[in-house]
Amino acid sequence: MASEKKIVPMKGRAWKFGDNVPTDSIVPTAVVQGTMEVILPHVLADLKPEFPKGVKPGDIMVAGHHFGQSSGRGVASKAIIASGIVCIVAESFARTFLRNSYEVGLPLLECPGASELAKDGDIVYLDLVKGVARNETTGVTLQARPVEPFLLTMLEAGGIIPLVKKTGPDLGRGGA
Amino acid sequence: MNMIEKIMAKRSGRRKVTPGDVVVCEVDCALLHDLSARSCRIVFEKQVGGKMAHPERIVTVIDHQFSPPTEEKAAILVAIRDFSWKNNMPLYDCGSGNIHNVALQMGHIRPGDLVVGSDSHSPVQGVMGAFCASLGNDSYAATVMPYSKSWFKVPETVRIEVTGKTRPGVTPRDVALWLCAEIGEGRVNYQAVKFCGEYLESLPFWDRYLFPLMGVDIGAKCAYIDPDKTTTDFADSVGCKGYEVERDDPGTKFVETWSYDISKLEPQICFPATVGNVAPISEYAGTPINWAELGGHGGGRLTDVEQAAQVLRKKSKHGHVNFNIVPGSRHVFSEAVKSGALAALHQGGATWFPASTGANQAVNMGAMAAGETMISTHVRNFPGRNGSPKAQMFLASALSVAAAATAGKITDPREFL
Repeated sequence: MASEKKIVPMKGRAWKFGDNVPTDSIVPTAVVQGTMEVILPHVLADLKPEFPKGVKPGDIMVAGHHFGQSSGRGVASKAIIASGIVCIVAESFARTFLRNSYEVGLPLLECPGASELAKDGDIVYLDLVKGVARNETTGVTLQARPVEPFLLTMLEAGGIIPLVKKTGPDLGRGGA
Repeated sequence: MNMIEKIMAKRSGRRKVTPGDVVVCEVDCALLHDLSARSCRIVFEKQVGGKMAHPERIVTVIDHQFSPPTEEKAAILVAIRDFSWKNNMPLYDCGSGNIHNVALQMGHIRPGDLVVGSDSHSPVQGVMGAFCASLGNDSYAATVMPYSKSWFKVPETVRIEVTGKTRPGVTPRDVALWLCAEIGEGRVNYQAVKFCGEYLESLPFWDRYLFPLMGVDIGAKCAYIDPDKTTTDFADSVGCKGYEVERDDPGTKFVETWSYDISKLEPQICFPATVGNVAPISEYAGTPINWAELGGHGGGRLTDVEQAAQVLRKKSKHGHVNFNIVPGSRHVFSEAVKSGALAALHQGGATWFPASTGANQAVNMGAMAAGETMISTHVRNFPGRNGSPKAQMFLASALSVAAAATAGKITDPREFL
């Protein structure tokens, strides 16, 4: 689990995916109960066979609508982190996938127009705080939705488990 | 406030919540199945540890495996049992049924409760007039297990009104499939959905179930039907005690209202390879099938079994088709014994399987080879979910599944009425 970190803009090589990518493709059911070593060669391989071998630490995923739909398997977000991907920018995310990802320290950026932002290999710049997505290869810049302050706090802590260790169960929100 | 907001306010100790607020709520019930219980246990024991605040609220249903096919799978189930027994968590072992049916049938979900589930179809529990959203392993391990709490962003709510009367042969499952495609996959992302209207309100409890069930497919965080006498009669029949019904305040405003009239609908089919692909079944009539299955989250209810029995009493299944019947709970099986549906389906050539999620993801049954085709009451049809990515899954009503099983091909079920 990552330790406390400051949220800074990121720059990385793009991997392009389409709409409605299901968690079933991120971690196929056949390996869902396997160790990360077993899972990694299968991550998104049915949609892009070259992805598991080609992905490098610091790469960024660019996708369309409703990324991470279907099963709520939390291991999907963990497998993407383990593959080396540092952020996903997409038109929209399935809600359970969005929640799971922030809870394990994987930032997601929602950005209208993300489907057309980049092709495989382009260099992409992302600013979560300001809500900027830019293709440094083509020069195209898009306005993304800045990430919610609460999710940034969770990301800075390194996920929900370290956040709870720091704040207790009320997560600094008061209430129950 | 609407029902969702009232439950969130009550459970977060606030007088009022507004969409966009991030709140921490007390959890009344948390559901796990065998795929998620294993990973939650690992995260909890390795990264959190300690005592659970309310282990009696954390309910595990071993539903993807009715009997482990390998030594490795058996070891996973042993670990799940040990974890549940050691912590005094309720456990429903192999053969109990599928997570959502069992949770409702065994009285774990009460009107007005705040419920969380690891399964993505958890919004279905809104059928009981409860709030229910899906959470991942780390939420379970960090806040649900140790503190019986969870954080939520209060969602906006869309009101979906369904009116009209269906034609003969058009079942609530046809309406739900059609509605999912009409609304659109992911269309209400992060929002809550209220299902209402004269059609939905006229349905019995287990038919209402099919509507919040597809909440996840349209992107909803949670879904509900205003609790009424149908709801409380069901709650009382399964032994729910001490519940506080919450309903929308009079004059509650919704972010949007969409209305659908289902009077002219024909029987529907969802074709490969996503739940947004829905058409009148006549467009796919004649497609040969190898497998038919009643089961999964979208099937295996008593009404599914009765519909199929009605067809197989007239004509046995086709010789080239295997027809699997998977009850959603042991209760369904008992009722099918009493009603005679069990014998009718058996004599008609169908095969009964233990109560479970059946062929869902082919964890312990229902894998297909390349080129094979199944028609089922399951809820998903993504490529590779049932064996080969070159196999096909069609989703339909129990009536249409049984009709196809007897014809050997997809067919208009109205021929069997």
